[in-house]
Amino acid sequence: MSKTITIDPVTRIEGHSKITLQLNDRGEVTEAYFHVTQFRGFEKFCVGRPFYEMPYLMERICGICPVSHLLASAKACDGLLAMKVPPAAGKLRRILELAQLIQSHALSFYYLSSPDFLLGMDADPSERNLFGVAKKSPELARDGIRLRQFGQQIIETLAGKRIHPGWVVPGGVNEPLSVEKRDKLLKQIPEAIAIAQRTLAWFKIEFENFREEIRTFANFPSLFMGLVTVDERAGFYEGKIRFTDSLGNIVEDKLEPADYPEYLGEAVEPFTFMKFPYYKPLGYPNGMYRVGPLARLNLVDNCGTPLAQQEWVEFRALERSAVQSSFHYHYARLIEILFALEHIEEYLLDPVITQSHARYTASLNNLEGVGCCEAPRGTLIHHYRVDEQGLITWANLIIATGHNNLAMNRGILQAARHFVRSEKLTEGMLNRVEAVIRAFDPCLSCSTHADGRMPLWIRLLSSEGKVVDEIRRGP
Amino acid sequence: MSRALILACGNTLRGDDGVGLYVANSLADELRDPEITIQCDHQWTPELAEPISEAELVIFVDASASLPPGEIACQPLQPAPNPPAQFTHQTSPSALLSLAAELYGHIPARSYLLTVGGKSFDLLEELSEPVRQAVPAVLQRIRELLSRPQRPES
Repeated sequence: MSKTITIDPVTRIEGHSKITLQLNDRGEVTEAYFHVTQFRGFEKFCVGRPFYEMPYLMERICGICPVSHLLASAKACDGLLAMKVPPAAGKLRRILELAQLIQSHALSFYYLSSPDFLLGMDADPSERNLFGVAKKSPELARDGIRLRQFGQQIIETLAGKRIHPGWVVPGGVNEPLSVEKRDKLLKQIPEAIAIAQRTLAWFKIEFENFREEIRTFANFPSLFMGLVTVDERAGFYEGKIRFTDSLGNIVEDKLEPADYPEYLGEAVEPFTFMKFPYYKPLGYPNGMYRVGPLARLNLVDNCGTPLAQQEWVEFRALERSAVQSSFHYHYARLIEILFALEHIEEYLLDPVITQSHARYTASLNNLEGVGCCEAPRGTLIHHYRVDEQGLITWANLIIATGHNNLAMNRGILQAARHFVRSEKLTEGMLNRVEAVIRAFDPCLSCSTHADGRMPLWIRLLSSEGKVVDEIRRGP
Repeated sequence: MSRALILACGNTLRGDDGVGLYVANSLADELRDPEITIQCDHQWTPELAEPISEAELVIFVDASASLPPGEIACQPLQPAPNPPAQFTHQTSPSALLSLAAELYGHIPARSYLLTVGGKSFDLLEELSEPVRQAVPAVLQRIRELLSRPQRPES
């Protein structure tokens, strides 16, 4: 007798989704689907708006990574103006992007996932949260809060607001950085670096306790995609697109982000609102690839900053080729925090950073513009077309989380086949299936944050619809 | 250490949901005391636990979907004995007090949640009439709380 298990909603992620598992008559998982149940429609309702409004409209997509949308959109608008930005503005934008990466990664690692690591995948779900972490390891909780605070503080110092700032504009940024503000930020970097190193040291020891999860959490060969700079580092703000395979070989390199329609296809499936991007030459679904922290560290031959480089060498030593377990997204996230802190320090110490000329102006010069950057979760592309008056006629957004859609679906199937093996459901069993999704840190809404209010209700149904088993979280 | 921390929460694009921010902005114009910190947020998040732990008085200001439109409630707060099981990056005031005590070993001597009943949470950038009329009374209530001697609420 076949059965269906539904996990609805998936908790401790950004946005709304559910998971359906199908079991055969032997109680084995045969299919797994990750459903994104919300629809946003930003590509449609911006049509008709002046292009210069786009950065501020588009950043409202997300409350966690608005800076990435702001930057990708501003870069697309830079393209419409056919202009580069002043040197100071370029570096300030890069700092903003890295600061956002710090606060977003800190939220993902410390707030959403560290309860699983510290308390265990099978811990009582009423304690498996940040409060549980605070009780068991106050230092870890304080460290997470401090890192997130620092990322937000950098954003607020530069851009005036922690969330949805309007400081980045087509052609540069609105206001240069003062020496006083720069010095205030610089003073705090050593403490933040010490936190990142402390957490890395702890987390690497914890790997021993999660061998089964490392082996089964979306651990399979795939392509990896991301931006790489001319000096072969991960390009968070700039670069060309590189694809590598699971052996670490470069499949394609130096692809222009603006040419994405030539190498990226987008498939749709009836069970979800999220599209399925794929690498065109391999077709759908064989063209599965992964983006984000794991991919970025797999794509490059060096990390580029001294302390992060040491960690990157250890990370890459996990496997002979590319690191394939998606459990190690968490590890990669911590290394990227360290990299971001070191890199921000480099930028802040550059005398260019306080130059007063931070914006160029121009009129509309192109009718099409593409902006691309690496959001915390992966490659983000904004593509706009405008009419002669500069009004948006068409927009396409390829959101970082979407790139991972094929891998997330395949990943939950792999984990469910391993952990969900009987008719008797346990909460810990299903938490592991959710944790696969959490490893990717998907941002689905991006700006809806309703989980925590909604109950989790998992039902095991017979093919006739009879409830065989069920568990509930919340009311 | 701040003598007082005023934390407003809401979304000014959703009608009366933004009343806390209107109140906070009015206070920022009125109060120039360096010992009083006013902060506006879309949500209350765990990062607030640290500044809360450093204040002697904290006042949370928010809209309420359950109070009648324009009605004001002022509730003394204690740390939540059992913080919510499901938790991401949005936290209740009492849970924040709990987190402040757990992580930083100190909570304000006095903590209050001041709420105003909303009438409309639709997509608009203005307050409804009953909520607008309630704003002066909310401001007065906050002034009273700020002027009261620092002692624990009985």
